Amino acid sequence: MTMSESGGTYIDNFPAEARVVRSALYSSFLALALGGLFGIIQTLHRTDIYRFIESDMYYTVLTAHGVFLVVTFTIFFLVGVFTWAVTTSLDRGVEDIRFTWLWYGLMTIGTVMAAAAILAGFTDSIDMSADVLFTFYAPLQAHWLFYLGLVVFVVGTWLAGADWFRSWWAWKQENPDERIPLPTFMVLTTMLMWYIATIGIAVSILVFLLPWSLGIIDSVNPTLTRTLFWFWGHPVVYFWLLPAYMMWYVMLPKISGGKLFSDPLARVVFILFLLLSTPVGIHHQYLDPGIAEGFKFIAMTNTMFLLLPSLLTAFTVVASMEHGARQRGGTGYFGWLKALPWRDPVFAGMALAGLMFAAGGFSGMINAGMNINYLVHNTLWVPGHFHLTVGTASALTFMAATYWLLPQLTGKALWNRSVALVQVVLWFLGMTFMSNSMHRAGLLGIPRRTAEPQYQGFEFEAGVGSVAELDFQLALGGALLAISIVLFLANVVGTAFNGRSDDLPANEFAETLSGPEDSPQVLDNLKLWTAIAVVLVILAYSFPLMSIVDRGGLYGPDISPFPVSIETLSLLAFTLEQYTTAAIATTGEFVQTTLTGVIR
Amino acid sequence: MRVSKEALLIILAFIAPIIVELRTVLAWANIELTVLESVVLGLAIVALVLVWAFFPEDESSSETPERQLSNGD
Repeated sequence: MTMSESGGTYIDNFPAEARVVRSALYSSFLALALGGLFGIIQTLHRTDIYRFIESDMYYTVLTAHGVFLVVTFTIFFLVGVFTWAVTTSLDRGVEDIRFTWLWYGLMTIGTVMAAAAILAGFTDSIDMSADVLFTFYAPLQAHWLFYLGLVVFVVGTWLAGADWFRSWWAWKQENPDERIPLPTFMVLTTMLMWYIATIGIAVSILVFLLPWSLGIIDSVNPTLTRTLFWFWGHPVVYFWLLPAYMMWYVMLPKISGGKLFSDPLARVVFILFLLLSTPVGIHHQYLDPGIAEGFKFIAMTNTMFLLLPSLLTAFTVVASMEHGARQRGGTGYFGWLKALPWRDPVFAGMALAGLMFAAGGFSGMINAGMNINYLVHNTLWVPGHFHLTVGTASALTFMAATYWLLPQLTGKALWNRSVALVQVVLWFLGMTFMSNSMHRAGLLGIPRRTAEPQYQGFEFEAGVGSVAELDFQLALGGALLAISIVLFLANVVGTAFNGRSDDLPANEFAETLSGPEDSPQVLDNLKLWTAIAVVLVILAYSFPLMSIVDRGGLYGPDISPFPVSIETLSLLAFTLEQYTTAAIATTGEFVQTTLTGVIR
Repeated sequence: MRVSKEALLIILAFIAPIIVELRTVLAWANIELTVLESVVLGLAIVALVLVWAFFPEDESSSETPERQLSNGD
């Protein structure tokens, strides 16, 4: 599908937007560099191979590693690639470029504030720190600047979403009978999920953590802040993943030489993520004593349903790749795999990322199961899992996508394709070593989030091999990943300083074998899916939250429940219940009417 | 060379996880390897792949149908 009549590169068609997208990507890569640096420091320290920081500084390093990579790197990349996707697929620029720069500016200011609070933890001369890790719930407390920075950053992402919705509404006025183009549909559904998810973190920060860090309130209810964190903390996983999914759907089939197998299936997948991403966060709290088992069981059930969109994606993307390979002359049951463009770092990176994501999905099922989760909870298994998901499925896809996007955004050819191919393969190798050793160490019960995993007077025993070997594998993997990041950044810098090229492909994304015309119109009814998503969140969270507040108080035990009393909360609970019942009834009628219309 | 250098790189990457976990898999069959033995086995597998990749393709085998055809004549 050609996105512009002129068929030029992105920068030819949208020069102003290209500058914003480029800035977002460069911000993302700066965060990658910083986060990667703290990653290798942490790896070498933890494995006791090379130590040059004190262990009491480990949490500062770990917080910087986590926040810079899973908040800054991923989300800056997301806003960049989503802006590219919306403008490309609607074939129109943003409505007001000053507004676009505004949200980018807010995100940057927020990042600087949070980063200042984190990095100040390295020196005693500044009375400020934020050693609270990426999972910044109580009882760990950060400086208020950290929380305020996060607020500004998230407001920036909200405005970015508003910018994309504004583009879509303007496009819709001119194209009232058209289906939403697939990349824009993916962006909008992802942002609707994000708006719902960030309610949890907004309440957590604005009502509890920020006033607490400013001394306005004396204490908080840790279980409540944990639950509100995970209200956001699980869907943010899909906020990292869905841009990668989008690239797998809209770029990978094209680079494979074929077409997307099914546009309707892709829409169903993104709707399922909108519906199911948020009402599952309690599966991160299986070992929290303040939440009843029944609520955890509901969260587990919802989580297992989330496997469905991932499996649908695996099917659709592999089918699209097979179609591409057969167009390129591939034959046989598996022989077509050889016909894929493995020399292309864009393809190789995305395909290897997808492969590792499959492994991450399997370990994710272990995490999600209430009973087997107890075996691996808070062990190194969990970082092993998410280094396959966000650390590879997202990060490696983003890096591979950069090799396609950067020339589009700069008008300059990629500096070195061979280095790019080596880089993506090194990432795969490094993550194989690191993640594998983390998973295995987790099975032995070796804990996560500690500088000193070797307990005194106790030896972890590996079933096969030894803990020292696992440590070596972990450090080797970390070192390969660090080299991979250096190669990636070298390619980015090299490309930025390259001369302009007239030999770049047009800014296009994949055509479809089965297009939107094959899907029911109801898939594009964003209001309906949002309403159902909200109802599911209310069902999953209202009673657990009320129970947590009832048990531990809104601001923790022994603290006056200001400004809400338990009595008013009971009234609120009753009112909420009434509204929920009414909303379910209304939604049910609406769905019935809509489905009847569709079936007719 | 049977495959391109890029394809060889990808093949070696795919082999890495197998080599890393081969020791564990063999342990299930009561074959316990030391680290050194595992490394040697891994290097041997890589060497085999390299030999296969760099070994020239048997050109005569691809010409066989033509020869058979000419013999038939």
